[in-house]
Amino acid sequence: MHAKNLWKHVYIWILIVFTLFPIYVVIESSFNPTGSLASSSLIPSRFSWVNYKALFNNPAVPYGSWIRNSVMIASANALISVFIGAASAFAFSRMRFRGRKAGLQTLLLIQVFPSFLALAAIYVMMERVYTVFPAIGLGSLGGLLLIYLGGSMGVNAWLLKGYIDTIPMELDEAARIDGASTVQVYWLIFFPLAAPVLAVTALLSFIGTFNEFVLASLFLQDVNKRTVAVGLQQFVGAQFGQNWGPFAAGSLIATVPLVIVFLSLQRFIIGGLTQGATKG
Amino acid sequence: MNRLAGFTGLPAQIFKISFIAIVDAILIAMFFASTHKHATPLAIVIALVGFGTNFVYFAKFTLPFKFLFPGLVLLVVFVVVPILYTISMSAFNYKTGNEISKGQAVTQLLQTGLAPDAANTTYDMVLGKKNGDWAALLTEQSTQQVYLGTTTGTTKLDKGTYTLNGIGVAGSAPGFVPLTADQTASADSIIGALKFPLGNGQFIAPQSADVAVLLTQSLVYDPKTDILTNTALNRTYKDNGDGNFANVKDKTEKLLPGWRAFNNFRNYTHLFSDSTVRGPFIGVFIWTVSFAFLTVIMMFGVGFLLAIALDKKIAFRRFYRSILILPYAIPSFMSILIWNGLFNRQFGAINGLFHTNIDWFNSPWLAKGIILLVNLWLGFPYFYLISTGALQAIPAELEEAASIDGASPRKILRLIKLPLMLQILSPLLISSFAFNFNNFNLIYLLTAGGPTDVLHGKTAGATDILITYTYKTAFGSSEQNLGLACAISMIMFFIVGSLSLWSLRRSKVLDGF
Repeated sequence: MHAKNLWKHVYIWILIVFTLFPIYVVIESSFNPTGSLASSSLIPSRFSWVNYKALFNNPAVPYGSWIRNSVMIASANALISVFIGAASAFAFSRMRFRGRKAGLQTLLLIQVFPSFLALAAIYVMMERVYTVFPAIGLGSLGGLLLIYLGGSMGVNAWLLKGYIDTIPMELDEAARIDGASTVQVYWLIFFPLAAPVLAVTALLSFIGTFNEFVLASLFLQDVNKRTVAVGLQQFVGAQFGQNWGPFAAGSLIATVPLVIVFLSLQRFIIGGLTQGATKG
Repeated sequence: MNRLAGFTGLPAQIFKISFIAIVDAILIAMFFASTHKHATPLAIVIALVGFGTNFVYFAKFTLPFKFLFPGLVLLVVFVVVPILYTISMSAFNYKTGNEISKGQAVTQLLQTGLAPDAANTTYDMVLGKKNGDWAALLTEQSTQQVYLGTTTGTTKLDKGTYTLNGIGVAGSAPGFVPLTADQTASADSIIGALKFPLGNGQFIAPQSADVAVLLTQSLVYDPKTDILTNTALNRTYKDNGDGNFANVKDKTEKLLPGWRAFNNFRNYTHLFSDSTVRGPFIGVFIWTVSFAFLTVIMMFGVGFLLAIALDKKIAFRRFYRSILILPYAIPSFMSILIWNGLFNRQFGAINGLFHTNIDWFNSPWLAKGIILLVNLWLGFPYFYLISTGALQAIPAELEEAASIDGASPRKILRLIKLPLMLQILSPLLISSFAFNFNNFNLIYLLTAGGPTDVLHGKTAGATDILITYTYKTAFGSSEQNLGLACAISMIMFFIVGSLSLWSLRRSKVLDGF
């Protein structure tokens, strides 16, 4: 090891310990049958699946429903919002119409307004919707999805427009000379070309929805309709010492698939991240 | 272009028309459901969406909108409308005790402003109908005087114009049709709402199926002057312009409930003038700004140094990198909850590890430190990633030229790389500042804004940032002040919005049109 680089190694290892410490504790306590963190040593002594089993046998903790709700709403939001975002970005990137520039700027400004600053207003509004359409009103996953979708155009249109601008116009023009309409260019030229970036956008949107806590916690009161984020928070918040073990197990089950997907796609995700930075 | 054939001509037309027909059918059904329940605003929105859909997809000249429409509808209905609603609510006195409309408030006040007369006059009642309208034969228990009450007035009946039934109560009179036992049993819902006026603000109100009492309307409302008078106490109450009727002689005596009233943006002025509102607001504001500033500097510092450390020629680089970006890959709400557990006094691994018994979240300074530490854990990988990207974007020639001129690597880093990086990354630093300014999850899930100094009557916790404070203001358990919460939201929007616009102007993103 080169002496000059010593500080680098020390620094990296300090950060690695810092990074891994909570992850290690969670993994250890998820397999620790005593269920609490109270063990004074961090070396695992006993191993059992009891915390994992507790998640699926307790009617007061419908962990399976939480996971299903989260996956359902996050997938639906990812899928629909990518279609909405792609269509809007295509229009903004490829077409010239009145109000285009103003529209883009307004989108940006609206996007800056975090939707939950309007939390109180959304709450009152959806409370009224509930009286007519319970399926899309307060307390329903459908209503929550609609609110998430409301923000999708602002986020995804900007994200995708940058990418679409880099697809050469010549391809569109060639197709047009062959007699394709705009709609055909969209579905047959643009969509396949943009598929990788659309997939990444969908993934980011999936993770974002999965992570969303505020709206979901205000919206979903029924224990069976909660998402993982809300469910686990309420569960561990109720009785810390007692519920820690099952909570650790539950958070691992929900996290591991996401982390695997993230790490295997990191090249694309990080590419999108730094693109914004290096362009400036 | 055979591949395109499937997307043109008749099949495409049929597909489009049937798709829109389905959408229309759903919207029409929803429209009638709303009008049926008298949800007019909802019905209007649905109708507009319906007309918009058909116009955009069948008119020729609306091509761009064919692509924008679905997103636009959702954006307008679920983002723009709530924003506008927030703006309007911020100008109203809209809090616990002031949630209903003025008309509803007056009705409730009048209902509660009833008092039995001094003698507690009670009547035996036989419910029935006269000329098809609700009516009752009322026998006063102490005097045996009989009245015929109708919804328009009450008349005294002379002896002989009525006949007594088996228990000595007037049971029938000309034109009066008593209810059968079955009808009486099913009239429960009507009984509570019936009133037989006597004049002079007095009336007889049924209490059950066969008993009524004399009630005096002690509160009287005059719609013309908009004044409420308590005739029993001889007090006058006037609209105080802030959603309540207040005693003319003693302004602090207000009648409850009040209503949500336009209060001239007093929610905004109170933030600066009313010390009970201003105190917590200023404290929270200062901590919000310092937190957002400090945390971005810390995350950037650690991430940037890591980018340098991992830049090149380090063994196991890919392995290190995969571990060090883990916090970015784990859902943040989960990480925050886990950290919360680690710092738990009784069960937490940190007290367990160091054999201490520190109540981490009960000290304002420790709690603030934990917030910064946890956010560092969550955020340094992101800053490492963007710093790496930016470092790679700095042309290698610059470094070469500088080292030929005799600059040491440290000088190159300080004088060339760091300034360039800051320039490249400033939009991201600013957007990260804006994000942390509103980092609700971190605060709410880690400390919930606490510790709260309730002993000194403080409503805001030591670690509350504006967004959690707003949340508590709007949805707190003791008092909910939606108007004030909306006003704070608007101020936050203004701060974050102008910051973002400024940084976008600088980064020239908006030039590329």
